Order: sequence, then structure tokens, then C-alpha cells
Amino acid sequence: MSGIDYATSDGLALVAAVRARRAAAREVCDIALARIAARDPDVNAFTCVLTEQARAAAAAVDATIAAGGDPGPLAGLPFAVKNLFDVAGLTTLAGSKINASRPPATRDAAVVAAIRRAGGVLVGALNMDEYAYGFTTENTHYGSTRNPHDAARVAGGSSGGSGAAVGAGLVPLTLGSDTNGSVRVPAALCGVFGLKPTYGRVSRAGSALFAPSFDHVGPLGRSVRDVTAAFDVMQGPDPEDPVCADRPAEPCLPLLDTGVGGLRIAVLDGHFARGGEPGAFAAVAQVAATLGVTRRVTIPEAHRARAAAMVITASEGAALHLADLKTRAHDFDPLTRDRFLAGVLVPTTWYVQAQRFRAWYRAQVTRIFREVDVLLAPTTPCAAPLIGQERMTMDGVEVLTRPNLGVYTQPISFIGLPVLSVPVTMPGTMPLGVQIIAAPFREAHALRVGALLEAKGVAAAVVTA
Amino acid sequence: MTDVPARSELDAYVDEAAKLCGLPVAPAHRPGVVQYLRVVSQAAALVMEFALPEETEPAPVFHPTPGEP
Repeated sequence: MSGIDYATSDGLALVAAVRARRAAAREVCDIALARIAARDPDVNAFTCVLTEQARAAAAAVDATIAAGGDPGPLAGLPFAVKNLFDVAGLTTLAGSKINASRPPATRDAAVVAAIRRAGGVLVGALNMDEYAYGFTTENTHYGSTRNPHDAARVAGGSSGGSGAAVGAGLVPLTLGSDTNGSVRVPAALCGVFGLKPTYGRVSRAGSALFAPSFDHVGPLGRSVRDVTAAFDVMQGPDPEDPVCADRPAEPCLPLLDTGVGGLRIAVLDGHFARGGEPGAFAAVAQVAATLGVTRRVTIPEAHRARAAAMVITASEGAALHLADLKTRAHDFDPLTRDRFLAGVLVPTTWYVQAQRFRAWYRAQVTRIFREVDVLLAPTTPCAAPLIGQERMTMDGVEVLTRPNLGVYTQPISFIGLPVLSVPVTMPGTMPLGVQIIAAPFREAHALRVGALLEAKGVAAAVVTA
Repeated sequence: MTDVPARSELDAYVDEAAKLCGLPVAPAHRPGVVQYLRVVSQAAALVMEFALPEETEPAPVFHPTPGEP
């Protein structure tokens, strides 16, 4: 592969090389498989590697190019998916032991099919918290996924395999799901880009649900243009997902280099400026300074939004798994089991009130978006905690580590806003993320800001050599 | 802030509500269930104490014809 370094090139650079016949898709695929074989034992991002299937798909891309056909906008791009996405021929684990005895999926999830149609080469499935109920990917059944930048630390979750696989340079692109922060948290802690699109912008058909009120799917990648290209081929209506919006796709890739002129940007104050470690706020300050942003706005009652998200998640997640909770609770991961059981017992009054509060909160944020276009906030309150770390300190108070990694992401996914988490790394420290939040269906606003930050070198994926 | 149930109240609630829901809770799992229900009850207290206008409907909206707003 002349002049291209697999571990440092972004996905679209590899695609360009394949399309221009400077590299064969089969060659790129073999490099990906070799890196996975060599490095994944240390990271534990993959739960399944599709060696032969990937080679066949890559060879098909090469054959299309040789025949003068169009191999697609993601031609030869190796990618992998969180193991809650259906992949034809594989059993969809969703991080669980229980689902392992189910038959294989008969067809791909909508987003997996979309990336494959675009020429992407699926190389495997990735580890996650059981049924997506966690922020750390400490999975008792399949082992913890380790942070590619410090193996003693978590990769974040619940799409931890998706974050680690990109951060470790195993594949340039992965897919994850985000209910309360599960794309954004691992993207931040692993030092990569992660996009949680607007609720209903990308089909969830063929993806295992967790809390359907908040379930989103989205890409993680090495560059803003990589996640944008993936988003563009996945977005759009799908009658097979009841919440998928009936509005045509609005491609963002052509808009990436249009700058941020005309965008009104502000830093989120209040809840989003409290409780985190200084580094988390320093990352936001660095992004704001680069953009020349001094304005600050406050979303009212964001702490209550997070609380309401917890109530709804507990209740909906438990309802989904009720039959198994009644008959085989002992087969759940001890790290999720008691929370799922407790969720069964959440009074309806709490749930309905939380859904009423959600409508009220959405109205408040809608007003804010009349005045601003983009909001900035930390992704997590701290860099990656240690694997097994039960507690940490926030605002001088000792709190549980795992639920509090989502303190800044939950109030945003609660109302389905699109968010790009960009990696910001200070010298000598572990990566952190900054959320670039836009109004519903304005992914392009967040992506344009991200592209500018990347061009200026403030946001950059950190991939292990 | 709205009161969070006492530990003993949560213990009793878990036992009775689990019975009502037909949910067996093994003795080994019960402390964890009570502990997490306490976490959720603290979150719920923040939600329940917030006065909402009567006309505020729950966020999810049902459409008789799928796909049509």
C-alpha cells in the first residue's frame, strides 16, 4: 500500500487509495485483520472477527473496481459494529450470555446493510456492556474492554468495543448505539470522534433496543469526515423503525468545509459547568477559545432531565427484559442484573411524570435554539477511570463512578439532540471529549464546527501506533 | 426536595411490588435491588417535586397510522 499508513490514515484516505487503485481493498482488509490479531488480545474490543467474510467482501470491491463499476463511497473501508447490531449469520449478543443461545440473525441491521452497500468491509462485532446498560464496558461474560491508551483503564461504554477498536487503530470506523451517552462516552475516553445523530434520523431496525425512548445509533471514527460519510449513507427514513423520521436525508459531507460563519455558538453553563475535573472544563475552554466563543447559556433544570432519563431508562430497560428477569435473573451480568430487577419495580407515576417533564424540557431547549445554533459542553466529567473503580469524587462529594460518567450526556440524549463528541487531548494526559450539540436535524452544524476544530488541530483522534 | 423513601420502606416495597409483578428476587440479589431502587427513587424525587402545567402531555405521542405525524 504505497504512501498510506493504515494506523494513522483516516477511513476516507483509505477509500481514496482503494478507489484510485493505489491499494487493493483486499490488502487493506488483510492489514486490518493482522492488526486485530496482533493487538486485540490486549484491548478486548472484538467478540467476533469475520476473517473469511471480510476477505470475500474486500475482494468483491476490488472486482467491482476492476470491472469499471462504482464500488461506493466507502469502498474497501474496514468497519466493525457493536454486537447489538444484527449481522446476517451471527447471533446478536447485545453483550449478554442469554442471547448467545438465540439463532443467528437472518439479515443485517439497516445501518450495517447501509455501510456494506456503500462498499464498507465488515470485519467483526464488538464488545459492550450487557444490554447497553453501562458506561464502562466492564462485561462479566466477555471481559472488560481496555482503554487503548492505558490498559488499566476503561474504554467507556456502553459502546466500549467501538471506541477502543478505533482508538487502537484496529479499524477506522465503527458503529455504536447511544441511549444516555453510549457513543459519546467511549469516543471521549478513547480519544476518537463519535456522532449521536438526532433521535429518529438514523434507523434502528435490526438493532437490539435498550430504552426505546432514547435509543439512537451512530458512528465512531478517526476523523470528522469519516463519521460524516458514514452518517450520510445511514441517515434517512425507514418504515421498519417506528421512530425513524419521515424526512429525506440531508447529506452533510458536502458542507463540512464551509466553516462556522453565521453559526451562533455558546458554552453551556449551570449543570454542564459543575462537578467535573478541571481538565474536562479546560477542554471546553480550549474549544471555545479556538472558536472565539465567549457567550454562555444555561439550560434550565438539566439536572432534573438527567434524573428523568434515569427513571425512564430503568423502567423501559426492565420492561424489555421482563421475561428473562422473571425466569433466569442469574444469567444476567451481575453488573446489570440488580439494576434491571429494580427497574421492574419503578412506579408508573414516576415514569409518566418523567415523560411529561421531558416534553416540558424539550420546550425550554427549543427556545434556546432560537437564539443559538450550537452548544458546547464536556462529554464526561473526567478521563477514563480505572477498571473496577467503584467511586470517584465530584464537587467534593464521593459518588459512584459508573453512572456519573453520563452526567453531561444524559440531559442531551434525553431530548434527542444531535451531538458530535470531539477528542481533545492535553499533553501528557488521557483523552477527553467535548460535546458539540446542535438543534434537532441540524447535524451539519455540529459537524461543521467539528471539522473546523480538527483543521485547526484542537480536536484530533488519538490512535495508538 | 421530595422525601426519598427510608431503607425499611424500600425493603418492604421491593418485597410487595415484586410479588405484585410476579418477579422472584433471590435473597442474594435483594440488597442490590434495594440499593438501586434507592438511586432511582432519588432521581424520581427530583422529577416528582417539579410542578408541571396540567396541559403538559407525556413526550411520546401515539400516531394511529404508523409513519404519519
